[in-house]
Amino acid sequence: MPHLAALLRVARRLTPEPMSAEDLVQETMLLAWRGFRGFERGTNARAWLFRIMFNVFHGQGRRELRSPELSLLDVRPRFQEAIEIAEALNALSLEQRTVLLLCVVEGFTCREAAGILDLPIGTVMSRLSRARQELRESLAPMAKVAYR
Amino acid sequence: MTDDNLDQRLRASILSEDLDTSRLAAAVRNQIHGRRSHGLRWVVAAAAGIALAIAVSFAYRAFFVPPSVCVAAAQDHEREIVKGAPRHWLSDLSAIQSLAATRGVPASAIAMLGTTGYRLERGRLCFLKKQIYLHLVYSKDGAEYSVYLRPVTSEAAFHHSVREVSIGAEDSAYFETDQLDAVFVGSHSGAAAAFARAGSRVLTKL
Repeated sequence: MPHLAALLRVARRLTPEPMSAEDLVQETMLLAWRGFRGFERGTNARAWLFRIMFNVFHGQGRRELRSPELSLLDVRPRFQEAIEIAEALNALSLEQRTVLLLCVVEGFTCREAAGILDLPIGTVMSRLSRARQELRESLAPMAKVAYR
Repeated sequence: MTDDNLDQRLRASILSEDLDTSRLAAAVRNQIHGRRSHGLRWVVAAAAGIALAIAVSFAYRAFFVPPSVCVAAAQDHEREIVKGAPRHWLSDLSAIQSLAATRGVPASAIAMLGTTGYRLERGRLCFLKKQIYLHLVYSKDGAEYSVYLRPVTSEAAFHHSVREVSIGAEDSAYFETDQLDAVFVGSHSGAAAAFARAGSRVLTKL
C-alpha cells in the first residue's frame, strides 16, 4: 500500500499514541479510497494523501495536542542521537514540527506543504525557519559533545 | 550547524526508524472490503425489497383488485339490464351469432352457453373500457345475467380459473379460455359465479 509508511511516520509525531496514529492513517486511507474520484490524475498523490490526513487530524479537533511519548516512538535507546533528535523535535510546537516533518523529512517543497496544510507559503517558510532554529539550539549541546 | 547538516541528521534519524505497516495495511484492506460487502449487502437488500414490493403488488392486483373491465361490465349491466336503459338488441340467435362472428367470437360459444341451463334472451355489441365486447343476456329462474365476451387479449390478462368479485350491488365473475375473455354479471350473490363456472366448463371445450 503506497505512502503508508510516510503517513504513519508523520502521524506518529502528531499523536501521542501509536494506536491513535494508526487510526488516523486508517481513516485517511478510507477517505482516500472513498473519495478517489476527487483525485486529479497527474497531480501529487502523496501530497493529496497528506492533505486528507491533516484534514482528518484537524477535523478531530486535534484532541491529542500534547507531544508524543518518546518511549513509544520505537527509537532504539542505544542510538543516543536518535533520542536527542526525537526530544528536540517533540519540544517544538505542533505547527513547527508539522512543517519540519513535511519539508525536511518527507521532502515536500514549501509550496506543496502550504497546499497540504492550507496555509500561505510565507507562513510555511517562516515556521520552517523558526523550527530549524529551535531544533538547532536544542541539539547544540549534543553537537558540542560530539565534536569534543 | 548548517541547515543542510541539520536536515540531513533529522532525516537520517527519522527515516532509520523501523516501521511495520503490515498490520495497518491489513486493517485498511479489511475495512475497505468490509465496506464494499456492506454496500453490496445494501444493494442486494434494496433489490430484494423492490422485488418483494412488486410481487406483493402483483399478488394484490391479481387477488384483490378486480380488473377494470369487470367494474365497467358491472356498471353496464346495472345501467342496461337492471335499470333497462333503451338499447337496440338482437334477439334472433342466428343474427346474434353473425354479429359475434364479426368480432371474432365463435358462434358455437353462444350455443354452448345455452346448454348450461341458462336461456339466451338477446345480444348486442358494447364498449367496455374502450374495447368492443359481445354483450349477451341470459335468463334463469326469472333473473337476468349479462355475459361479455371477446377474443383473448393481453390487456385483460384474466385467469383460467373463475374469479368472483362484488362490485357495488352487482356480483361479477371472470375467466379466460384459450380463445375468449369472459365476464359474467348478475344481481344476486353468487349467481354470476355459478353461471361463470358452468360457462367455463363448456367454453374451454371450444
